[in-house]
Amino acid sequence: MPSIPLRNPSPAALEKLTQIVGSDRIRTTVAELYAYAFNAGMHRAMPGAVVQPKDPSQIAAIVSLANEHDFVIIPRGSGTSLCGHTTAVAGGLMIDLQEMNRIKEIKPGDLICVVEPGVICDRLNAALKKHRFFIPGPASSEVATLGGMVASNSSGDKALKYGATRDYVLGLEAVMPTGEIARFGTRTIKNSSGYQMEKLMVGMEGTLGIITEITLRMAPLPQKTAACVASFKHLSQAGRTVADIIGTPILPVQLELMSHACIEAVNKATKLNLPPAGGMLLIACDGHPEAVRSEIELIRSICSRNEAFRVDYTEDPKRIEELWKGRKQMIPSLSALKPEFATVMLADDMAVPISKVPDAIVGFEDIERQYDILIPTYGHAGDGNLHTKVLLNPENPEHWMQAKRAVESIYDLVLKLGGTVTGEHGVAMSKAEYFKKERADSIPFMRAIKRALDPRNIMNPYKIFDWDDGFLSHLRYPVEVSK
Amino acid sequence: MNRTFDDLEKQKLETINCTMCGYCKAVCPVFIDVGWDSASPRGRMILAYGLLTGEIEPDLSIADRLFQCTNCTDCMRRCPSNAKCPDVVRAARREMVKLGFVRPAQKMLVDNIETTGNIFADPELNLPEQDGPNLLFIGCQHLSRPNATKKTIRLLDRIGIQVGIMQEVCCGFPLEIMGFTDAHAEQKKRFEDRFKSDSRPVITLCPSCLVHLQHHYQPSASHILQEIDRRLDSIPLTPQTGKVTYHDPCDLSRGAKIIDEPRRILKKMGYDLVEMTNSGNQSRCCGGGGGILTWDAEIADHLSKRRIEEAVATGADMVVTACATCEQTLKKGTRMYAEASGTQPIPVRHLLDLLSKAIA
Repeated sequence: MPSIPLRNPSPAALEKLTQIVGSDRIRTTVAELYAYAFNAGMHRAMPGAVVQPKDPSQIAAIVSLANEHDFVIIPRGSGTSLCGHTTAVAGGLMIDLQEMNRIKEIKPGDLICVVEPGVICDRLNAALKKHRFFIPGPASSEVATLGGMVASNSSGDKALKYGATRDYVLGLEAVMPTGEIARFGTRTIKNSSGYQMEKLMVGMEGTLGIITEITLRMAPLPQKTAACVASFKHLSQAGRTVADIIGTPILPVQLELMSHACIEAVNKATKLNLPPAGGMLLIACDGHPEAVRSEIELIRSICSRNEAFRVDYTEDPKRIEELWKGRKQMIPSLSALKPEFATVMLADDMAVPISKVPDAIVGFEDIERQYDILIPTYGHAGDGNLHTKVLLNPENPEHWMQAKRAVESIYDLVLKLGGTVTGEHGVAMSKAEYFKKERADSIPFMRAIKRALDPRNIMNPYKIFDWDDGFLSHLRYPVEVSK
Repeated sequence: MNRTFDDLEKQKLETINCTMCGYCKAVCPVFIDVGWDSASPRGRMILAYGLLTGEIEPDLSIADRLFQCTNCTDCMRRCPSNAKCPDVVRAARREMVKLGFVRPAQKMLVDNIETTGNIFADPELNLPEQDGPNLLFIGCQHLSRPNATKKTIRLLDRIGIQVGIMQEVCCGFPLEIMGFTDAHAEQKKRFEDRFKSDSRPVITLCPSCLVHLQHHYQPSASHILQEIDRRLDSIPLTPQTGKVTYHDPCDLSRGAKIIDEPRRILKKMGYDLVEMTNSGNQSRCCGGGGGILTWDAEIADHLSKRRIEEAVATGADMVVTACATCEQTLKKGTRMYAEASGTQPIPVRHLLDLLSKAIA
C-alpha cells in the first residue's frame, strides 16, 4: 500500500472550526494529539486536531468544512475499539463525542430509549434499571459509548440470548459525509418502511457518517439469574455439551468456555482454586424463577450426560459474581503467565458455528504448538465467539512474525469452519486482510455504498475494505516489523 | 532530540503492557472532570510512552496532564491488566522536574520543607517532646492544628496508648509525589538522622505519612484509627446522633487498606452511617491528593465540589473523613457547593475531632 497522504485541517480550517465550536472545544497540543493517536487496539496514528462538539448542527458544520477544506474526519467515543477503528491513518480531525452524553428519553411504555452517542453503556443501564430494563453491552460497558457500540456493532457475553447492539437499534440520527443531518428508522418496535438504513449504519465503523442520536429498544431485566460451573476431563466434552444445550433448545444468558491453559492461568494468578480440568463451562440462565430452575436442571443433566466430573450450582448473586471472577480475571491471568510478554489484539474474536467450537479450539491448540507461541483460548462458546490472546514480547520483531503466521493459520481455520474473523470487535485495520477473504463477494457492494455516500472520502477513510496494509502496520509498539 | 529518561525507563514495560482498554477512564476523577483523553490514566501512560520512545518532546501540555493526576490510585485498582499507572506517572514527573517543569507553588513547598522541615515554613511547628513506648508521628498537617492534635494525644492517653513525641521533620511524601527526587533524597537523610535509631512502633495520624513511612521506613507502622479500633469495645463513648457519610482518604483506603475501621468507630459512636456511591476501596479523590493543589488548584476545586455533591446525595447531615488534607479540601468544596446551590453547607469533620469530643 503506498503511503497514505495526510489530510489534516489547515490553519484556515482550524480558524473556521474555532468559530463553529469555540476555542475551548478544540485541541492541537502535543499531549492531546498523541493521546488520541492511541486506542484499545494495537495500531496508532496521530490526528491533526481533536474537537469536542456539543450538538448535531456543530457536527454538520464541521463536516461541511471538511468537504470544503479537504480534511478527513474520524469519529470517536471512548477510544475502546480494538481493531484500529479510530486510528487516524490519514491524520485529520478527530471528533470526540464523549461530551454529547445526554440520555434524552426513557419510554418504558414504548419499550424505547433515546440517547446521544457519548452516553456510556453502564450509565444508561443504571438509568434503565429504575424502570427494570437494560441494554446488553460489551465487556467494556463501563466505559464504552453507545455511539461506538452502534458504529462497531459490538456485543458481549449475553449476546447468545440477548443479541448484539444491532438488534436494539430502531432508529438513529447521523450527520452524513456530505454534511446533511439525516434521520433513519423509527421509534416503533416494528417497521417495514423501505431500506433499513439505520441498520446500514450499524457496524459502519465511522466510514458512513457520525451518529448523533440513537433510538434503542430495551430488554426487560430478568427476575432471577442462576449459574453453574461444569468441569470436564476433556475439552471436547465441554464442546459437545455446548452444542447439546443449544440444540435442546435452551438459550442460557451466558455460556463461557475455558480451556485447560486458561484455568491454569487463572489458578496461578488468583486464589480462586478452580478445579483442574481439561475444559470448563460457566453457564448462567435468567428469566422467571421457575423457568430458570428448570433450565438449569436440564443443563445439569446435559453436563452429566457429557461426563462432567463436577457441576457447581448457585442462585446466590454474590456466588455467581464470584464464579464469574475467574472469567473476568482472564486477561491479567494470561498476562501473568509471562510478565515480560504482552497480550496483543491479534485474532481476538473469531466466531464459528456453535457446533464447530470444539474443532476450532483443538485447531487453535495445534497452531499454538506448531508455531511455538502462547495462544490461550476462551470465549463465549454459546454463540460460537472465541477469544484467543496472543502473548508475545512486543519489542521483538521475530515474535510478531511468528504471531503473524499463527494468526494466518487461525483465520484460515476459522474460514474453513464456516466462521467469521470477527464476532464482536469489528474489522477496521486488524481484521481487514482476512475480512476481505471472508466477504469477497460483498465487498464491491460495500465499496459502492461508501463511494456513493462519501464521494470525497472524508469519513474515516482507509478502513474495512479500503485497508490494504495488513495487520502489522501502524503498530503502537516500539518495533519495526516487515510486513 | 535524543534524551534519556533513566527513571521512566524502569517503567517501560508498564507502558507497553498496558492494554489501553481505557477502563481507568471510568474511575479517574480528573478525566471525569476534564473530559479530554490525555487527562485520563491511559492518556498519561501514552504520554509516558511517547516521552520514553522520543516520539514526543516534553512540553507544558504534557507536564499539565502528568501533574494533574491526584495519585488516587483508583486506576490501578480498576486496571484489568494490573498496570501500575501511578508508578509511571511518578517516574514521568521526576523526569519533568529534572527538565524544569516546576510551578512556583511546588517550588515554595520544596523550599519550605528544605528550610524549615515542614510544608508550612513554620520553624516553630512542633509539639513538646514526651516519652512513651510508641512513637506518634504527627505529620505537618496535624502539627498545623496543634489544639486539635493535643486533644487527639489526650484521647490516646485516655484509651491507654502512651505515645512518645519527638521534634519532627516532614516525612518527604510531598517531595516524592511531586517528583522532586533530589529534594526527597535530602529529606530522607534528614528524616533518617532524626528517626532511624528509634525502634519504637510508629503510630501515624496522617494517611499519606502512613503509606510513606510504611514504604520507606517501617512497614509495620500503624494508623491511629487501627489502634482505636482494636480497643473499641473498651472505650467509653458518649452516644452521638445523626446521619453521616464517610469520605475515605485514598491513601488510607486504597493505600493502607484501612476501610472498615473508621466505619466501625462511627457506628460505635452511634452515628447512622450512609455510604456515598464511591466509597471504600472505590472511594473518589476529594481533589487534595497527589500534589494537584500545587499545580492546578482549579481542577482540585472541581473535584472537591463533585465529592460534596456525592455526599449531599446521600442525605447525610455531615461528612466525616480521616485526613487533614481531605478535611480542608472538602471544607472548601462544601462552601463552593453551598454557594452554587444556594443551600446550607454540609459540615465536614475529622473523625479524630469527633472522637475527642465523644470520649466520655
